[in-house]
Amino acid sequence: MCLFKLDSPLLLTFARQGVCLSKPQYSFLYRHAAPMGTTAKDEMNKFWAKNARLNRPMSPHITIYQWSVPMMMSITHRGTGVGLSGAISAFAVAALVLPGNYPYYLDLIHSLSIGPILIGLAKFGIAFPVSYHTYNGIRHLYWDVGKGFKIPEVYRTGYTVIGLSIITSIAIAMI
Amino acid sequence: NTHLGLELRLLLLYSDHTLKLRRLCFLGRTQVIKAVHGRLLLQPLQRSWTPETHRCCCCRCCYRALFYQSALLARPLVVPNKYQEQPHLLTARIHSSQALYAGSDSKAASLHWTAERVLSILLLAMGPVAYFSPGPVIDYSLAAALTLHGHWGIGQVLTDYVHGDTKIKIANASLFVLSTVTFAGLCYFNYNDVGICKAIALLWSK
Repeated sequence: MCLFKLDSPLLLTFARQGVCLSKPQYSFLYRHAAPMGTTAKDEMNKFWAKNARLNRPMSPHITIYQWSVPMMMSITHRGTGVGLSGAISAFAVAALVLPGNYPYYLDLIHSLSIGPILIGLAKFGIAFPVSYHTYNGIRHLYWDVGKGFKIPEVYRTGYTVIGLSIITSIAIAMI
Repeated sequence: NTHLGLELRLLLLYSDHTLKLRRLCFLGRTQVIKAVHGRLLLQPLQRSWTPETHRCCCCRCCYRALFYQSALLARPLVVPNKYQEQPHLLTARIHSSQALYAGSDSKAASLHWTAERVLSILLLAMGPVAYFSPGPVIDYSLAAALTLHGHWGIGQVLTDYVHGDTKIKIANASLFVLSTVTFAGLCYFNYNDVGICKAIALLWSK
């Protein structure tokens, strides 16, 4: 085992043991050397490429794993996010493509004479994804600063988010 | 464990006729190859070593050697076990690895993460502003923030579920087109129509 001391840029002090090479067989140095690292992305791509190539089926996961409130809240957060994003994109495309302006289409919906209950339901249907995604988003930011990871805390904040979302959505739908 | 970008393998011949093979990583940490009974072993770094004690003495000259010196390897000799003299570096032979960045120095992913959170907080703040003081400024800000937040969010979804180089590229390109169209549409709506805040207010007044 060798220890090294820094004396000057060009000098080294070695321990008493020297290195003896009987033959310059450097090839097996590479065998003994530690392998070069790969990036995580490379590793993941290799995993998927290999399994796709071998035509392996996916192991059951969501079909067998017991669902829990945190799991459902997480996928709901993703679902509401994707849904809201899709709705915004659809609105934007409609704004570009459809003739006429916004009040025109609003009057069109007005003229359909939908009952107040259905209108309330529709408002709830718009308000709930927005409020759930917002409150759970705050919960995510709370995690991002490193707080609230203990399981009881996860459940407590989770139920708070669900409760607040429902209350807020009902309140907004009644405006 | 290595966090190597570029790896240099240096065969260093010293004036005391010792031949050292050093592995020098980009950060200057070294490992020592030593011979035991004619077999070569890679000796890992000791955890207790401070960077100074195991940094290659001639970091600077090694890098210089990479560019200026050509390889010259003397015939190895039997080495006496005890050698008092301080050795000087005579020559160095350098092999370099491909520059595979295992532990990349790029902070891009980390900065992206932070930007996502900052944008989320900004978007949160825009809610009350849109309610209490609607207008074109908040309309366009909302358009930008919503589109970007959605773009990055869907980007994460794609990263999670889409696998394979080509598929990922296609998915990300499609998302980019969609986000561009979304932003264009929202800006068009803000400019030519009532604007986002007014639209929500009108919708709710029904």
